Amino acid sequence: MRASRVAASLYGARAAVCEMPFATVASDSLGGVGGTCVLRGCVPKKLLVYASKYSHEFEESRGFGWTYDTDPKHDWSTLMTNKNLELKRLVRVQTNMLKNSGVTIIEGRGKVVDPHTVSVDGKLYTAKNILIAVGGRPSMPDIPGIEHVIDSDAALDLTSRPEKIAVVGGGYIALEFAGIFNGLKSGVHVFIRQKKVLRGFYEEVRDFVADQMSLRGITFHTEETPQAVTKSDDGLLTLKTNKGSINGFSHVMFATGRKPNTKNLGLEEVGVKMDKHGAIVVDEFSRTSVDSIWAVGDVTNRVNLTPVALMEGGALVKTIFGNEPTKPDHSAVPSAVFSQPPIGQVGLTEEKAIEKYGDVDIYTSNFRPLRATLSGLPDRVYMKVIVCANTDKVIGVHMCGEDAPEIIQGIAIAVKAGLRKQNFDATVGVHPITAEELVTMRNPTRKVRRDAADKAKMKDEATSQKLEASAFTYALVSSFIFVVIVAGVKVMCRKIRAFRSHQISQATRIIIVCKGGLFGDSTTRVHHCSVVSQSSHIFIYNSVLVHH
Amino acid sequence: MARKMLKDEEMAVAADDGGSYDYDLFVIGAGSGGVRGSRTSASFGAKVAICELPFHPISSDWQGGHGGTCVIRGCVPKKILVYGASFRGEFEDSKNFGWEINGDINFNWKKLLENKTQEIVRLNGVYQRILGNSGVTMIEGAGSLVDAHTVEVTKPDGSKQRYTAKHILIATGSRAQRVNIPGKELAITSDEALSLEELPKRAVILGGGYIAVEFASIWKGMGAQVDLFYRKELPLRGFDDEMRTVVASNLEGRGIRLHPGTNLSELSKTADGIKVVTDKGEEIIADVVLFATGRTPNSQRLNLEAAGVEVDNVGAIKVDEYSRTSVPNIWAVGDVTNRINLTPVALMEATCFSKTVFGGQPTKPDYRDVPCAVFSIPPLSVVGLSEQQALEEAKSDVLVYTSSFNPMKNSISKRQEKTIMKLVVDSETDRVLGASMCGPDAPEIIQGMAVALKCGATKATFDSTVGIHPSAAEEFVTMRTLTRRVSAASKPKTNL
Repeated sequence: MRASRVAASLYGARAAVCEMPFATVASDSLGGVGGTCVLRGCVPKKLLVYASKYSHEFEESRGFGWTYDTDPKHDWSTLMTNKNLELKRLVRVQTNMLKNSGVTIIEGRGKVVDPHTVSVDGKLYTAKNILIAVGGRPSMPDIPGIEHVIDSDAALDLTSRPEKIAVVGGGYIALEFAGIFNGLKSGVHVFIRQKKVLRGFYEEVRDFVADQMSLRGITFHTEETPQAVTKSDDGLLTLKTNKGSINGFSHVMFATGRKPNTKNLGLEEVGVKMDKHGAIVVDEFSRTSVDSIWAVGDVTNRVNLTPVALMEGGALVKTIFGNEPTKPDHSAVPSAVFSQPPIGQVGLTEEKAIEKYGDVDIYTSNFRPLRATLSGLPDRVYMKVIVCANTDKVIGVHMCGEDAPEIIQGIAIAVKAGLRKQNFDATVGVHPITAEELVTMRNPTRKVRRDAADKAKMKDEATSQKLEASAFTYALVSSFIFVVIVAGVKVMCRKIRAFRSHQISQATRIIIVCKGGLFGDSTTRVHHCSVVSQSSHIFIYNSVLVHH
Repeated sequence: MARKMLKDEEMAVAADDGGSYDYDLFVIGAGSGGVRGSRTSASFGAKVAICELPFHPISSDWQGGHGGTCVIRGCVPKKILVYGASFRGEFEDSKNFGWEINGDINFNWKKLLENKTQEIVRLNGVYQRILGNSGVTMIEGAGSLVDAHTVEVTKPDGSKQRYTAKHILIATGSRAQRVNIPGKELAITSDEALSLEELPKRAVILGGGYIAVEFASIWKGMGAQVDLFYRKELPLRGFDDEMRTVVASNLEGRGIRLHPGTNLSELSKTADGIKVVTDKGEEIIADVVLFATGRTPNSQRLNLEAAGVEVDNVGAIKVDEYSRTSVPNIWAVGDVTNRINLTPVALMEATCFSKTVFGGQPTKPDYRDVPCAVFSIPPLSVVGLSEQQALEEAKSDVLVYTSSFNPMKNSISKRQEKTIMKLVVDSETDRVLGASMCGPDAPEIIQGMAVALKCGATKATFDSTVGIHPSAAEEFVTMRTLTRRVSAASKPKTNL
């Protein structure tokens, strides 16, 4: 949409766009103007998040003096009716926007015939440039009984409230739906293959969000891989995993990833290259391996977010029609998970930050917001700021708690403007709100140093040796766990070098006990290092990749 | 010059054996500024004492409490009541999302009050603990000056004790003031409004500032009928005119009756309640009349003359850029200096004071791009310059970007209330001079914008930032079309 509108309205290009007829559930012949975001993604999801959040608000309100003669009840069909009315309105709005920009809309399924020809349901259209922006679609593993399982398309448009639902998957879609169904009073069980939810997110946030969701009534089943779904005579479903079977589900939903919609588009025949996941391979300007064919959005599987697709579309039009070759900038793209509580983040995770910058200072805050002290509910907020120790540059900000997505947007602008920790410190807070915590974090929770060992070398060797002899011990507990007890970071790093003989492998867990909580080393470069748990002086790092 | 003086001062501190005074620093008032100033000074190694009045939710010459206005009679209890009041709108909005509440929803004011008091008593304790842990000596009583180095504290039992100090920091804050009309004693101020025994059914509020607007939203949300009177055509003087218009229409939309350009002329007691007469001759009966007509610095009972500390015509203590008063070793921060009367600003001033006096780093507070919020329902929040201020300061044309939209939640709830956002940009440098927003979550959203402005963000920076979808805040990074370009030469005059 973005590309065709801008091309037509701003650059006077003759643009046509084809799209399939509207339906809430996508298929090979159904879709709708607006695409996944408007019809089967961001928008309906957010509407359901709004609806489901009320149950938490009703609970909160009690601490603020509100009482109910009878408990609030939710009527599923009212919500679905109103949601679908809104979606239809949005399809109309989007269609009109295209028409008003002078874009020709062709209804039907498009297929590329040659580098300059598209066939829509058999009728041929020629174009100088072809843009493929067909997005992605939910993908599910091929296990027995998969026909009983719903995907996120269907989950957004159920005819009745699930009594008890299994949500399989640990990604953002799974967590968002878990929150939605939990808020709308379904019993919710989440099954994840990993130990933790949200792979790729910052470790402490992964723990925090799962804890908070559990406190709101969601049951998590970790390290469980689904193997089969069976339907019993009473119509209820049983989910069988590697660990056992749980029955009595009215619904089983799989949120196990999305796949680019590249099947049956004629791409192979024209010579458009795709990767092993079926994503179209593009260069930095979104050009495919065929010069006149371009691709943006989820079908290219870069950063699969609506605003990123918009950016890619906008840059593409500048490149083709504006005579200004423009690369979309995929750095510091903020994102949100609308779980309950939600997550907002921008920049790198701590693990990636250490890998890239070596020396980083980590500021964290985990607090009970004012609203929760009154409501009496166990809601908390977690915030984290990652700063490059050498340049003072802020390289990552992560937050989980009420309003996190709204709060992080402004921080993302600041990051684009070259945010330093000193800018955070110089900003006056808005009082009393949650976000002010971000500008009042004065002392780092921990400092991670890559070159601490180098500095230690410069110290008096004798002193070091003395410390070495007296101040710490270490032990190889098993082939996977090291315990290091140190008095200070310098000697600790020297000691890690000594560990080489014990063959630290990728799977080795190093438990480091040190007074200031400092951690760092140089000769053994820590590539991936994450805190699994933490008490006052004890940091447990997981999956440390050590390069010798 | 100031810098040189400070350097000398610093050396004097270092040379001083500390034996000639009881304390390095004596702080009068343990509110936001006083607590911060004493804590940070103690962390630089100073020997610090602080005096504060006994705790009470309603302040007087003899009552106050650790935490000060913000914690006990301001920001915190106010925000708690705003939370409480916001639920009514949520209940209304929830209907179209499928929620059915059969039977009555009741609001129990006493319960909220009890929970609120419990929370501020807790915070009062937290502040005392923070001070204790920092090694600050706490003295209960009212402090006043005897001379430039001596403070006399009148204890609750009436006894007096004198303390000497090398430096004195005055952080006594401010107090709500009443207008002088017949029957003024029948009215209450925000102190009492936060602790009323009964929730009013009919409330009259006089004032157009943020306190008036916030209480109007609070009482309306709790079910009262609210009449808001103010002298100007719009509430919230000093804020961007466009935003003021939006706030006024939102208040009206939520059922508050606005009486612009109207003053109260007399209050009298009747069997039915308080009779309120306006300067236009209207009469209204109310259960509660709130004067939200400004605050005055708490400088009267400090015996400032004894040391020669100067005050201005409203009673605010005059200070230089480092918060130093006309007496070199006496300093003042926070509302008592009437600069920008906000808790985080008092904190900033106090931190700068400690760095300057005890940290060996003369530091001026920076008043540029201080964000602030009005917790009306929905709230308003701004940072930087308003369109009017930008035009006054501008050397080049000012670019204005506005967006007024129906928040996504309203697409289902059908609430008729637009969110409005505005960016004011310098046409020559492309710097964003101001950002403002009125709508749900505005204060949380503006905090990040304030950080961005501190980084010197330009409109191009805003445009290059990817949005978080779907959020309200993403609108700030997708404002591509200029609403208007205002020439620096054509400054419109308004009498709002």
